Amino acid sequence: MAQMPALIPKEVEIQRLKKIFLMVIALGSIAASVEVDNFVDGSLHQTSIRDSAFTPAHWWLYSHFIALPLGWGAIAIYDRKVPILRGPNNSMNTGLKITILGYLATMFTIGINEMWHFWFVEEIFSVPNHWMFNMGVVVAFMGALAYVVRVYARLVELGAETPGENPYIAEMYKMALEGKLYSRSIP
Amino acid sequence: MTLPKGFGSGGTGGASSADVERMIGRRVENMVGIITISYWAALMATAAGTAAGYFYYPWAYPTASGHFAFIVLAIIESIGFIFCVKISEEGSNKKSNGIVAGSIGAAIVFVLFVSIFVGW
Repeated sequence: MAQMPALIPKEVEIQRLKKIFLMVIALGSIAASVEVDNFVDGSLHQTSIRDSAFTPAHWWLYSHFIALPLGWGAIAIYDRKVPILRGPNNSMNTGLKITILGYLATMFTIGINEMWHFWFVEEIFSVPNHWMFNMGVVVAFMGALAYVVRVYARLVELGAETPGENPYIAEMYKMALEGKLYSRSIP
Repeated sequence: MTLPKGFGSGGTGGASSADVERMIGRRVENMVGIITISYWAALMATAAGTAAGYFYYPWAYPTASGHFAFIVLAIIESIGFIFCVKISEEGSNKKSNGIVAGSIGAAIVFVLFVSIFVGW
């Protein structure tokens, strides 16, 4: 991968990429916190099956399904200031697109889920109304990973991130930047 | 290099350092204050959230369970806080190790206080 020509001054690009990185860390912390809510929600449903949409475990779960798409939307707005992160035909970055699509699916599923539970007051993990929650989150995580790796790779390209001190790792970084990593490791 | 509208000197030259500073706005290395405030806001919101669980729904969320969630979440938030400060200051001359150590230390005391004395 040859270093792409800069469309904005390097210092500006590094600062903007780092601001994106800080936003991603904040959203990642929220996503990690909802992993705790999986257990909180599970403990609720083992005790009370399902009483209403408005229990602490559900406030937490549902508000994160709103907060994360909004956060990634904010990143998508800010992302336009970094030309290197543009997607095909000057559209939104592909990883970002996939992330937002995944979280939109989970937002949509909140409504589906409430409709289901209006008739079926149970809380079985594998019922169809829960499928798209899980699939949406997995799709969003895959897109987020693609995006954050791209941001990090660009920071390495610009020299803002120091490759590992281990000489073997440093050599791998160097080969990756030159586009030779795969040709060397996969004969 | 093509600069956005309003920057540069009308096609006669590149970006000046004043242009670059205007395009950057607030630098990430100067954001430690807002990052620290956000960390404490998140920690307080977490304490309130878990307290809502064991005060409002004590039959569904035992206090020990709420405290466990609070401790794990405080750790997650602290790791995010450290990452944010380290990333924002890397490559600059600024060092906020005192603020980070003080905040994490105070957070440990706060989490221990809540876990030992609140809700039992």
